[in-house]
Amino acid sequence: MASNSGKGGADYDGGRTTGFASPAGDAIEGPIDLGEVLDLRRPHRYPVRVLGDALRERGIHPGDILIADAAAPPADGRVCIAMVHGDVWVCQIAYKRGQWWLRPASGAREPLPVVAEDDIEVWAVVAALVRTEV
Amino acid sequence: MPATYGLIDGNSFYCSAERAFAPGLRRVPLIVLSNNDGCAIARSAEAKALGVRMGDPWHLIRHRPGMDSVHWQSSNYPLYADMSRRFYQVVAGMVPRVEPYSIDEFFLDLDLPGDLHALCTALRAEVLRVAKIPTCLGWGPTKTIAKLANHLAKRHPELGGLCDLRSPELRAAWYARLSVGEVWGIGGRTAEKLRRLGVGTIADFVALDARDARDLLTVVGARVQLELRGVSCLPLAMMAAPRQGAAVTRSFGRPVTRWAEMREAVAAFAHRAAEKLRAEGLVAGHLTVFLHTNPHNGDPWHSGQRAARIEPTADSGALIGEALRLLRSLWQPGYRYAKAGVMLNDLRPEAGQPRMLFPTRDPVRSARVMAAMDAVNARHSAGTLRPLATGLARPWAARAARLSPRYTTRLEEILVARAW
Ligand SMILES: [Mg+2]
Repeated sequence: MASNSGKGGADYDGGRTTGFASPAGDAIEGPIDLGEVLDLRRPHRYPVRVLGDALRERGIHPGDILIADAAAPPADGRVCIAMVHGDVWVCQIAYKRGQWWLRPASGAREPLPVVAEDDIEVWAVVAALVRTEV
Repeated sequence: MPATYGLIDGNSFYCSAERAFAPGLRRVPLIVLSNNDGCAIARSAEAKALGVRMGDPWHLIRHRPGMDSVHWQSSNYPLYADMSRRFYQVVAGMVPRVEPYSIDEFFLDLDLPGDLHALCTALRAEVLRVAKIPTCLGWGPTKTIAKLANHLAKRHPELGGLCDLRSPELRAAWYARLSVGEVWGIGGRTAEKLRRLGVGTIADFVALDARDARDLLTVVGARVQLELRGVSCLPLAMMAAPRQGAAVTRSFGRPVTRWAEMREAVAAFAHRAAEKLRAEGLVAGHLTVFLHTNPHNGDPWHSGQRAARIEPTADSGALIGEALRLLRSLWQPGYRYAKAGVMLNDLRPEAGQPRMLFPTRDPVRSARVMAAMDAVNARHSAGTLRPLATGLARPWAARAARLSPRYTTRLEEILVARAW
């Protein structure tokens, strides 16, 4: 005997009813899958957690989950995940004078040229943001 | 059959997966240790240069000169599995037919139009950019030659990570220089046997009369010889063969001396083996349990093994019950047990099982309970729901003192980036 108890109702989708047949039975679409929306099953998508509030003016808060895209080409003004001297940063990227720079959010710091020999690498470009507490 | 096979292989795959998320590990000699933080199972190029060999027990080599610069990590299989998935998806996006041969090796059908060298260069670059794994890629007219080409690309950095062995002249030149033991499918003992007969290089082996090769090394050896001659005998297998058995065996983090702990451990192994069966829609008709001590610790050797035919099932509760019944007959107190395991055999599809005349379980109810448990564990994380018999504290669990975060499979453990 089929039963809907004990599974938190996970097995009733709005379609199969016991008394009156559901008029929506042929129109079940299921809930929205954010993994699909954010393309998380693709090999180039990586989730990254933000630490610190240097990018608050850019709308990126501490604790935010960024969806980084390792296949997206960098573009002037985008936010990226960078590996810098053994640390992991999230910062803005700029193209100036024929090369890429990591641009600090604060004017108190100098931009850093992206040079592999200096142990600086753009790892992925930030494509989306998830904030679970608003 | 394809005219050209390729093999792409992740360099020091576990180390590379660790380094993808931990740039601080990129410049240090790095090794990954086996279960229980025991032996080196992956070594970065720097660690290899320092003389760390595959399988070296870390506690024995750590005091050697130069080893204080070596950084070790516990093995993080959830991470490696997910990075393997990314690696495969990138490859399969660029090459239509791919065989997943191992966690970090994929055979390719390279019967493709265009410049193969350019394609392989692009493939390596894309795997590195997207899946963050450096690789080597070799190709030739057979799988055995592709495997050898890959090995050469790995061992000779001057090749730039690529090795094309399609040309018979080029192959002949390498064959004359390489020991037959370097060939995929020729083990150390076979190579030694051949060497005693004056067959030292691959060239010597390829030149053997085919009948002699078969007499010496059976059909398997004859097939290796044909493949080395450029005659393809091994087709691409796009999917793994059906599972023959499901085994879950573990070394304990510390010796197990108490019945309660052993019972929990074996219940946990039986539960995990049952999960493997259910993931593939199989049931098992035969179950084996074993346990033993570790004489290398100075403990007296003691071992036991029992097997039994069972009513075919994939039910965790039923398999735990059968495993514990066998375990009880094996258990001898007074020993310090180092390892135990559960093996399930006689596997068959769950569907189409004949109805037992007098089943001891309600198969419908069992399937529903198991499906519900598996669904919760898939949606949340493995082990969220499990039979209580498998223990809560699990003091017998393997040591993993330096486990990196599961960067890509657990939201609480994802990569952290400092805003700058
Ligand atoms: Mg490898």
